[in-house]
Amino acid sequence: MSWLQVWTRAVIGPASRRAAAVWVGSAIVAAVVFGPTGMHPADLTGLALHAPAVGAVLALIWLLVYLPIARVIVRADAAAYLRALPGRDRAARLVGALALLGLQLPWLAVWTIGDGARGLALVGAWTLVIMVLARWRPVPGALRTPHWGSAGPALRGIHLRALRRRAGDALLRGAGLSILAGVGAGLFVRNNQVTGDAAAVLGASVIAIVLVPAQVGVLLVLVESHRTSAWLATSLGIPRATRVSSLAFAIAIVHVAATVLALIAAALVIGPDPTTFALLAGTSLVVALGSALGETRTLLGAEHSVSVASRTVSGAVIVGSIAVLCLATLGLAGLLAILASGALALATVPA
Amino acid sequence: MTLVVDRLSVKRGARTILDELSLTAAAGEIVGIVGPNGCGKSTLLSAIAGVLPPRDGRITIAGASVWGTRTERLRARRALGYVPEGADPPGFLRAAELWALCAASRGCEPPGPALSAALGLDELAELALERMSLGQRRRACLGAALLGAPPLLVLDEPDNGLDVARLAALVTLLREHAAGGGSTILASHDAAWLDELAARRHPLG
Repeated sequence: MSWLQVWTRAVIGPASRRAAAVWVGSAIVAAVVFGPTGMHPADLTGLALHAPAVGAVLALIWLLVYLPIARVIVRADAAAYLRALPGRDRAARLVGALALLGLQLPWLAVWTIGDGARGLALVGAWTLVIMVLARWRPVPGALRTPHWGSAGPALRGIHLRALRRRAGDALLRGAGLSILAGVGAGLFVRNNQVTGDAAAVLGASVIAIVLVPAQVGVLLVLVESHRTSAWLATSLGIPRATRVSSLAFAIAIVHVAATVLALIAAALVIGPDPTTFALLAGTSLVVALGSALGETRTLLGAEHSVSVASRTVSGAVIVGSIAVLCLATLGLAGLLAILASGALALATVPA
Repeated sequence: MTLVVDRLSVKRGARTILDELSLTAAAGEIVGIVGPNGCGKSTLLSAIAGVLPPRDGRITIAGASVWGTRTERLRARRALGYVPEGADPPGFLRAAELWALCAASRGCEPPGPALSAALGLDELAELALERMSLGQRRRACLGAALLGAPPLLVLDEPDNGLDVARLAALVTLLREHAAGGGSTILASHDAAWLDELAARRHPLG
């Protein structure tokens, strides 16, 4: 096997796997935006070019979504050991540059179909900006030693540190997808001209679906934090209930933060309708809390599994589906069913 | 007796690792578990530390069963300090955060000046565990295990990766712990080091 093949496997392989998740998320949003009764890519690119604010928001969303993938390619940390071997460095750079552009397939497709050669040039120029940002490594801040009063706050603090230090990329991607979720929900509500309860159910369902790929990367970091701290917590005599509630707390924080971002984006799209927005916000936040409980259970079921990643993804999809099903069949009363199913799922955790 | 292991059996999959093993550690005693690779030293220590559930048998620490009722479990675990073979807490944590977690769980203060000086903990405080060498990580974990002076120390190859000066400091710490009435059960391949500790040897395998 050649040096370049090993480099490609080490760098482009992981980047492609991450990109695949973004492609799935983008496909879900594209189905909403470019569906049979939706826009044509040319409408969107035209809007982005003629309204700078819309263009800036779109570019920012793509930057947030794609930056973590670009980092994998630009920094090439996974192939650091190959630098000690004589290899085809220029060829690796070329492969990296092509992958950096090619893995932006959804973004590339929208701009190329919508705006032809000029769209392609714009994607190329934005890729340069992404590349520069991907190369930047922030300096870690000084440590403030925590003084936790008991095991519960300590474990919660540890999970939050895991999010800050391990899930930076996933959080960025999640923030981008959260904004997309809000835009999608807002478009659904506005274009279908629904208000009140119906708007809350419709919007919250769209947000719940689009947030699934936004949550997965973060959930994987949390399950790893929970798993690696298990022996320590057990030998320190920290009760399982404390461990479970700490994990649920961290997952809930992520869900609520993603939902708040989505709601801000949705509010901008829906326009001035305080009643509808209040109902949408309340519904989405309850869905977020119920989903956090359900996902905590799926993570606890997956923590000792060798296929923890795929089980986490499946769990998030199932929890999202249950939430949408409850809302679709029961309306706002489905919120009680979502909370109850989450609480019941957690109650089945072995002591 | 600080530690009593009575007819302990542990299986991993279909393989029996420990079969009806019994041993004790009295107050002030250091017990060295010795034996070839794969004989079950780490398995025994992780079962004592309450991390790996046994198939059969009983383990008590200061009279509380490690695998008994919820109250007993908590009492037993709060009476022990454990360092596993890999010394591998979550790598994203900095050492000071690991000590803060242990201090919060045991209701004690973070490492004092004497412990810090002996193990050189000050220089490790701000380092992430994943960026430490094996010896540094082990020192950080030893610092965590010794917090609050638990009656029983369960140390899996604590000498592995330590330099000469830190090894000597560890001998002093373990002797002081024993002199204060504490017990230690540890695994090591270094016979001379066990002699230096005046450890009673318990062969496995």
